[in-house]
Amino acid sequence: MSTTESSTTGAAEATPAPRWAAALEGIEHRRVASADGLDTLEVAREHLHQLLAALKERAGFAMCTLVTAVDHYPATPRFALTHQLLSLEHSERIRVRCWLRDDDAHAPTCSDLWPGANWSERECFDMFGIRFDGHPDLRRLLMPQGYDHHPLRKEFPHAGIEPDRLYRQWDRQRRVGWSEEGAAQ
Amino acid sequence: MGSLESGSLRAVSGDASSGGPMAADASGSGFFATRADWLVNWGRKNSLWPMPLGLSCCGIELMAMIGPKFDLARFGAEAARFTPRQCDLLIVAGTLTWKMATAARTIYDQMPDPKWVIAMGVCSSSGGMYDSYAVVQGIDSIMPVDVYVPGCPPRPDAVIDAILKLQKKIEREAPVAKLLGLGAAERDERGTGKLVYQPNHGLSKGVLDKHPHDPKGKLGLRDPAPRKTENGKP
Ligand code: SF4
Repeated sequence: MSTTESSTTGAAEATPAPRWAAALEGIEHRRVASADGLDTLEVAREHLHQLLAALKERAGFAMCTLVTAVDHYPATPRFALTHQLLSLEHSERIRVRCWLRDDDAHAPTCSDLWPGANWSERECFDMFGIRFDGHPDLRRLLMPQGYDHHPLRKEFPHAGIEPDRLYRQWDRQRRVGWSEEGAAQ
Repeated sequence: MGSLESGSLRAVSGDASSGGPMAADASGSGFFATRADWLVNWGRKNSLWPMPLGLSCCGIELMAMIGPKFDLARFGAEAARFTPRQCDLLIVAGTLTWKMATAARTIYDQMPDPKWVIAMGVCSSSGGMYDSYAVVQGIDSIMPVDVYVPGCPPRPDAVIDAILKLQKKIEREAPVAKLLGLGAAERDERGTGKLVYQPNHGLSKGVLDKHPHDPKGKLGLRDPAPRKTENGKP
């Protein structure tokens, strides 16, 4: 708990040091309060991978259940990249948050630690446009390849931007001319 | 009755160029062509081969429909085949996304003529509750549809009703007359035959296109390419 700050609430201070605190010795991070009571760590991007590795190797968080982001649009920094980890052994969960600026939205991948995070990171890239450095295969997961936008960003209108563009493009290429209406479009 | 049947059969197998008995009557199509149409339609409508394209929850209801309780076999349309090349009835059951649209259209194109399409459920009929960037707002944006079935999901009875309606529609077609180039061929025999493109409302919708979190209401679409600056430190 070397660098734990008391900047948020006294709640984190009042509770005894958690089981995993010793494992994070020497890694710069801070513990913050969360509305749902889940242990939450905030960490800068350059220490993110180190922290996640320590949680996995030394604190028994063998499972990465979620990699996602939250877009706090008008605020800066904008994206809260969030990893949620689960320790089956200790029946414990933890959340790791890393703030990313809009013009600098990239973070180290953790798919080398948890292979299952591969697709979570692809989804996060697809929905928010956050790049994961060192990811083996950073393609879109849900939206079609070649789509221009990232739908879960706040500025994205919920009805989409040209959702049919890629279909029309495909359609023009494979046109067999079965009807005038189809050809006219 | 028997003589009518044999006459129809002759009309089907007889050569079209001989003219004689094929001469158009006042109504625009020959007697034999009309009877042959009746026979062909009778065969087609009572032996529909559905291609079940179960895309989401409606697919479950489609399975119930083909199963023993609702027994689609009573109407001759239970022989579902999972290759479009052996089917003539495409049942689109579920939410069609734009990413899936190319596959759905390919399936439609692979089905041999004559072919019909049933849009099962509000999702495939109109996009349903998903007025979303990902969902096609009605499959008639990408393929012609014969029968729309409302419901979320429609009960199997409703889809069976759609098949009965489709049978009525097939009865009105004139395949032989079209083959012989007679007047009745004018009749449309390819569903609505129309693509009714229904766009996602997109940028022009009004209130909803501006996200409440976007104070300026402008759509600053950013380039996601990473730029090298110093860290985004919390
Ligand atoms: S219409 Fe309803 S039941 Fe059918 S696919 Fe859409 S949401 Fe599911």
